Amino acid sequence: MDIGEFREKVFAAGTRSGLGEMEIYVSRSENFRVRVFQKEIDDYSLSVEQGVGFRADYRGKVGYAYVETLDEESVNVLVEGAKANAQIIDSDDEIQFFAGSPAYPDVSTYDETLNRVSPQEKIEFTKALEAEAFAADPRVSMVNWAMTGSAQSEVHIANTKGLDQHFIRNGAYSFISAVAREKDAVKTAARFFVDHDWRRFDAKKLAQEAVHEATSLLGATSLESGNYRALLRHDVANDLLATFSSVFSAEAVQKGLSLLGGKMGQQIASPLVNITDDPLLSNMGASRPFDGEGVAARTKKVVEQGQLTTFLHNLKTAKKDGIASTGNASRASFKSPVGISPTNFFIESGGTEYVDLVKKLGDGIIIIDVQGLHSGANPVSGDFSLGAYGYLVEKGQIVRAVEQITVAGNFFRLLESVEEIGADLEFGSLGQGGHFGSPSLLIRELSIAGM
Amino acid sequence: MLAEGLARDVILAALSTGGDFAEIFMEDTRGTQIRMLNGGVEEGVTGRDWGVGIRIFQGFRSVYAFTNDTSGANLLKVAGEAAAALSGAPQEGTLHLQRLRLEPLHPIRLDPKTIGHRDKVEMMKRAHWAAANYDPQITQVAITYMDTDQNVFIANSEGLLTEDRRVRTRLGIHAVASKGSEKQSAFRGPGRHMGFELFDHIDVEEIARDAARSAVTMVNADYAPSGRYPVIIDNEFGGVIFHEACGHGLEATSVAKGASVFSGKLGQKVASELVTAVDDGTIANAWGSLTMDDEGTRTRRNVLIEKGILTGYLIDKLNARRMEMEPTGSSRRQSYKFAPTSRMTNTFICAGESTKDEIIANTEYALFAKHMGGGSVNPATGEFNFAVAEGYIVRNGSIEKPVRGATLIGQGAEILQRIDMVANNLATGQGMCGSLSGSIPTDVGQPTIRVQEITVGGRKGAN
Repeated sequence: MDIGEFREKVFAAGTRSGLGEMEIYVSRSENFRVRVFQKEIDDYSLSVEQGVGFRADYRGKVGYAYVETLDEESVNVLVEGAKANAQIIDSDDEIQFFAGSPAYPDVSTYDETLNRVSPQEKIEFTKALEAEAFAADPRVSMVNWAMTGSAQSEVHIANTKGLDQHFIRNGAYSFISAVAREKDAVKTAARFFVDHDWRRFDAKKLAQEAVHEATSLLGATSLESGNYRALLRHDVANDLLATFSSVFSAEAVQKGLSLLGGKMGQQIASPLVNITDDPLLSNMGASRPFDGEGVAARTKKVVEQGQLTTFLHNLKTAKKDGIASTGNASRASFKSPVGISPTNFFIESGGTEYVDLVKKLGDGIIIIDVQGLHSGANPVSGDFSLGAYGYLVEKGQIVRAVEQITVAGNFFRLLESVEEIGADLEFGSLGQGGHFGSPSLLIRELSIAGM
Repeated sequence: MLAEGLARDVILAALSTGGDFAEIFMEDTRGTQIRMLNGGVEEGVTGRDWGVGIRIFQGFRSVYAFTNDTSGANLLKVAGEAAAALSGAPQEGTLHLQRLRLEPLHPIRLDPKTIGHRDKVEMMKRAHWAAANYDPQITQVAITYMDTDQNVFIANSEGLLTEDRRVRTRLGIHAVASKGSEKQSAFRGPGRHMGFELFDHIDVEEIARDAARSAVTMVNADYAPSGRYPVIIDNEFGGVIFHEACGHGLEATSVAKGASVFSGKLGQKVASELVTAVDDGTIANAWGSLTMDDEGTRTRRNVLIEKGILTGYLIDKLNARRMEMEPTGSSRRQSYKFAPTSRMTNTFICAGESTKDEIIANTEYALFAKHMGGGSVNPATGEFNFAVAEGYIVRNGSIEKPVRGATLIGQGAEILQRIDMVANNLATGQGMCGSLSGSIPTDVGQPTIRVQEITVGGRKGAN
């Protein structure tokens, strides 16, 4: 049956079963992906996926269920599943089903021109990506990833209070990972590019960036342990921001899982630091007119000149704090309960060009890659200890590549010790519920363990 | 799940443009997840995953398509669209599907569907109270419960038609200890390929107290010293180091393309002769076990390294073509949304001769990694990094004091050569392994081992 008919059946069955307010969250996406290996298509994938998330009020508690197929049995799975799940809830949080915002922003999330890019063009681009990597340097022994994809996703929320909102988003991405080999040394480097405008996809540039980085690391050696002045390249700063972004969630704060609890209005970062959450940017990865509860999306500064100005809220956390939702309710997927996540979340650009940051670093280390974020970083304490690659800098000049080191520190101390911010804001890959961006950051001191 | 005639027609449609192999994977999965925070249930989610994945090979090329719309007309359409990525003439011949019934290796006694939510919550509460009451420094306890019941249907152009059921149950215990503004957490996640009888096999309270003990120990610990020095890695979840640093490099996904440090090294010495390592998907009711893999191949015990010599890889059908070797029953996927590839099941280093006490008594100075956190590895270079969730300094043959914040970094192949003591206390721990074909349940395991030297990242200067 179609989704309209299915919704009617679910709401009717729910009413018969004693459920109160009910809501369905429908997502449908179409994905395309091609991977090339040694000039041949190695992997080619097409998909259409649809899912229905359901939540309902049963005697003052909320229960969730989801299905991926729209048949009679699924109606039952949703209604009886949500009812059973509501019955075990202890939390006294008031459930809120939202009737809708007075108005919704006009956000550009869909680029029609992207649909005119054929699979063949994406295949050719991916082949070019691999070829450009080999052409860039004779030490490239393999391109272990050359991949391009596109995705289109639709979200539809409707509930028994009258909410009925819908939006559609599309985008494309490309990824390359090159392997460089010289004698016994093997190094890899990767680049990811995401955009809605196919004209901005540049195979040569992307391939060369990955190759230059991989080859630059071939002679890398470790470093003496100690404290170093550090320049976090934009992508590394971005990785850290994404990893620790949950500290800005009001849910984490209210549950005592964020050390920013109680710090509203206080200085939590260097006065140079401004952090913004902006769902209204055109065609970015997390742009949207409304959030996972149907609340109108809006732009907000989270940190302004180093001062904490707001947490990210959904309806539940906002009510607890006696304020309005910031429009950051999230559904990681139709399977997930309502949570909180950033949208397009970024540290704002500063005024210093990257080359000047290297000069200002003087004697120190540039960190260009970190590994182990999912295990070596603790979002609760802010502590991190991560494997890293980089370049040693002396008197403002890169002198050699560095490997086999770990950088250790604390995210909150890091924000405080920002000395200079680059003019090179870039957004990274999508993930962790938001689209994150950062410029490069010059940091007073980081602890490095090496030899 | 799918009518035989329709399965055959979809396979033939998939082969209409010159493909030389086609496969249908269909699943209907039910699952429950319950999340408890500080003793109160916050969330329960029940769900049903449903869909079909269609895969076609032409030589080394692979095309994959999936959909939730499993009507016959749509499946034929999707098979046709996927086939359009290839070009060629269909091969001659007819297809006769032969039903294969395998005796389930992992019997299920208490179907989670028949257990009420309240019994599940009761078990969670027992875990909660055991952890919460362990010590006043325990400030937060989060408990998760999950069960899944995956029913799969697999048919392919080699004539295979088979079905399998995988029931898994797992409890997650996350304890947070606080001291001033500092917090440290510990996680334990016991799970099995079985139903609710899991709780007859594990002592929930003991495991919860162990999580609490670990968090409290760490919040009171000093930071680990950094530098290069010996590391003793304890049994059970310590096996994650082998899983990440070596296991991924033995998967055909990286071996077949020459992207692994282990490529082309069969028969060569790749590890200390104390090391024998196995991936065994047949262990009764183990977390990573299966009766058949996600290509319908029977699982088996694969010896990867025997006394230091590389003896085998983990191989799926596509990479079997590239490597000109047989599939090893190792092809897995999170769901129909992923094309399967070679993955681990239950992977472990086998027991040695020493005892754990002997290893510690014979060590002058080392980091003792009692419990490992997660880690990651770059398969092309073998470089890995791991967090040590619970660490101690060993000095002059005995454990001196707990330390926190340590990270181990190095290169998998090098570590394997540097293992110089292996204890006799093999045990396994449960994890979710994320890779190309999604997130799948795997057991990691090993006895206590000693590595001569690893780079330890910490926050203090050298000892």
